[in-house]
Amino acid sequence: MAKFNLNINGEDKTVDVDPSTPLLWVLRDHLNLVGTKYGCGIAQCGACTVHFNGSAVRSCQLPVSSLEGSKIRTIEGLSENGDHPVQQAWLEIDVPQCGYCQAGQIMSASALLESNPNPSDEEIENAMNGNICRCGTYSRIKAAIKAASKSQIA
Amino acid sequence: MKTIKASGIGNPIDRIEGHLKVTGKAKYASEFPVENMVYAQGVNSTIAKGKITSIDTSEAEKLDGVLAVITYKNAEKLKNYPKDMTNFSLTTVAPVFQDRQVHYYGQYIACVIAETFEQAQYACRLVKVTYEEESPDIHLDKNRGKAYKPGDSADFSRGDMDAGMREADVTLEQTYTTPIEHQQPMELHAAIVNWNDGKVKMYANQQILNQATTSISETFGIPKEDVQIITPYIGGGFGSKLNVYKHITMATMASKMIGRPVQITVTRHQMFTNTGMRQFDEQEMRLGAIKDGSLTALAHHTTSHTAKNLQYFEACGNVSKMLYKTPNNAVTHRLIPLNIQCPSSMRAPGEATGSFALESAIDELAWKLKMDPIDFRIKNDTQVDMGADKPFSSRLLVECLRIGADKFGWENRKMQPGTNKKGNWLIGYGVSAASRRAPYMKTSAKIVLELNEAALNANIKMDATDIGTGTYTIVAQTVSEYLGIPVENVKVEIGDSEFPVTPGSGGSWGAASYCNGARKACENAIAELKKKQNITESEEIEVAELLQQNNLTTFEAEGTAEPSEEYKKHSVFSFGANFTEVWVDKDTGMYRIKRMVNVGSAGKILNPKTAYGQIIGGLTMGAGMVIAERTQVEPNYGNFITRTLADYHVPVNLDLANIDVVFLPEEDKIANEMGVKGIGELGITSVAASIANAIFNATGKRMRDLPITPEKLIEAGLEPGVA
Ligand code: FES
Ligand code: FES
Repeated sequence: MAKFNLNINGEDKTVDVDPSTPLLWVLRDHLNLVGTKYGCGIAQCGACTVHFNGSAVRSCQLPVSSLEGSKIRTIEGLSENGDHPVQQAWLEIDVPQCGYCQAGQIMSASALLESNPNPSDEEIENAMNGNICRCGTYSRIKAAIKAASKSQIA
Repeated sequence: MKTIKASGIGNPIDRIEGHLKVTGKAKYASEFPVENMVYAQGVNSTIAKGKITSIDTSEAEKLDGVLAVITYKNAEKLKNYPKDMTNFSLTTVAPVFQDRQVHYYGQYIACVIAETFEQAQYACRLVKVTYEEESPDIHLDKNRGKAYKPGDSADFSRGDMDAGMREADVTLEQTYTTPIEHQQPMELHAAIVNWNDGKVKMYANQQILNQATTSISETFGIPKEDVQIITPYIGGGFGSKLNVYKHITMATMASKMIGRPVQITVTRHQMFTNTGMRQFDEQEMRLGAIKDGSLTALAHHTTSHTAKNLQYFEACGNVSKMLYKTPNNAVTHRLIPLNIQCPSSMRAPGEATGSFALESAIDELAWKLKMDPIDFRIKNDTQVDMGADKPFSSRLLVECLRIGADKFGWENRKMQPGTNKKGNWLIGYGVSAASRRAPYMKTSAKIVLELNEAALNANIKMDATDIGTGTYTIVAQTVSEYLGIPVENVKVEIGDSEFPVTPGSGGSWGAASYCNGARKACENAIAELKKKQNITESEEIEVAELLQQNNLTTFEAEGTAEPSEEYKKHSVFSFGANFTEVWVDKDTGMYRIKRMVNVGSAGKILNPKTAYGQIIGGLTMGAGMVIAERTQVEPNYGNFITRTLADYHVPVNLDLANIDVVFLPEEDKIANEMGVKGIGELGITSVAASIANAIFNATGKRMRDLPITPEKLIEAGLEPGVA
């Protein structure tokens, strides 16, 4: 066990955990931030996606010991009232079905739009390809990213 | 009675729980904060058949944080399977650790309970087991002699099949195979179980609460009323969360033993070996038709497998009993017991795989007859379900085919395969019919009305579940419609087994059943309030006013909806048609699904937005059947070779192109009073064949073994008659 200082959603947190603990479990088990989901634990599904200094990463593969000094954002901190343009587009287009993959999808999509405000179809597919949705919401994910992109640019 | 249509049924309102799902606030089974909780984890067998000869738990028990290890030696006695071969139903008991026998690779043989998830996981690896191993039955081919008929419903016949084949001008005999598949919802199976003073309360992602509480109570020999399951949100089910699986038993046993709440989360590996799967099916089709395209004979024989001690079969042949007009018809199902886990329902069990075989065979026969496959289907349309000898309550299959053909641009299809080209791409069009039984079952609900100033609020409770289908939203819309209040004034409480009983989510019966149950509760509330004031039933009066006249600010009523006599006299199905355009690279066999048009007739569409989601979800999973999904079994040891999401491939964002979904306006009042039919499984029933048929149209190759991978496509030869 060791103490780690983390910056999560703009707040400083200290956790006392084994250095190899993946960020996913620090979030879910120690900080009760359960919006970030566990889907596979081996970087194959994207359910655990968070922002690490602004880029989308799989938190199940990120040991807590590698996080000091960096900024982590989770679905809980994406917007204050759940009204980030991506979240709004997601609601309007009714992307979520069971919802389990959607925190990961939204974190991947919002990171994409941050770095590329007007992505092409191909860029969307490539950026979103690592996020599995077993409910099959892919065509709506694409539509929602485009809608969010438009509303952001406008 | 005034109704505010803006939020009633039929409107594409946003999902009412959507906000919780885009902000990460919807809580799933493993996410409830429970004090003093510990973690359980199952240990899986590493042989497929044999006996445990020794099990050494001492090292695991010594590990920091480990509280106990349960094995057959110290497990409490549970109700075991009643027979050597028990039918695997929704209420079947889920015994674990009752003897030393191992029936398949991955069976739970021990369970570790520890203070943390990591400790439990690690301790599992320290449990040492030795076995007396026997050679397992893994191959279908090597065990054909053990095939048996799983009950009376497995066989069906009408007319004289052989005579029908003799009468035919053109015949077809082909075998289609579909692999083991896994449901793999994104949310793992999980539960937090608290055994307290002989009663058990759990958060567990079960699709059907009323049946699950029966299974759990019987397993532990306690009254059903003493089992409570809570599950407000379920992260997908696709059939895998219909039955009670043994992690529930392990966690319950553990909580009873330790005296603390126990969380169990099944790993993704265990989602392959311990929570069900779709079975491998080998489907032999025999069809005959005369020159004008009339079918004279249709036979559908399925051989599949089940576990050594549990029996489940998906009825692939059912679709061949009802879809087309055929005077001579034979359907059989045979099972071979293997040392592989028991299969279970996966989205449209029977129909998804059965339709692939039937609708591929229909396409093949149309090709042999030199008929357009749409014309061939229309020629053999029937308004009577010949398998059940009942009229369909409604059947718009022909309309689905015609309208879809129009939208899709079917007239541009080239009859001769391989003639529509663009550079290296061979372009093909394919079609398939969709059909899925649309059951409706007895459903109860309780409604609580509350008058707040002049605003009427309603709170509806039922033990329904929302597996992503939109239950919250359509129930709220129903209450809004029948009480004439805005949807915002309706609170929907579901996912608790203590609420009034519904049939749960599965088998495409959820929407129709839930909404009619909710309707009935609303109607009863109004009727009771009117009766108190001697107001005639037909008089129009707002519900708020009714409460005021009764001098009430709050009122409760219950209602139970049930299928009518008319319903029982009919066959009730949803129908549809799917059109696919594929592009196949002629050198590599790589192919892309370019677009799909799906037309469905599924009664009254409660909410086009959530309904659309159900169809695209089915289409996506159906595309998975063709492009990738296949669980591979190691032929000697019986373990699954593909048992992570890294090697069991499911469709991803890159795989699906444009999908156009159309619903035909339809209201089937025989199906139920609201005219609602299920759509959760309709989509998947038409995809596989429409893609395979499009591949034939592109390449001239018939692909009868799913998934259709590029190497299979390259190896396949051209069909006779293809230039
Ligand atoms: S849980 Fe991290 S990618 Fe699946
Ligand atoms: S919404 Fe269910 S897995 Fe994506």
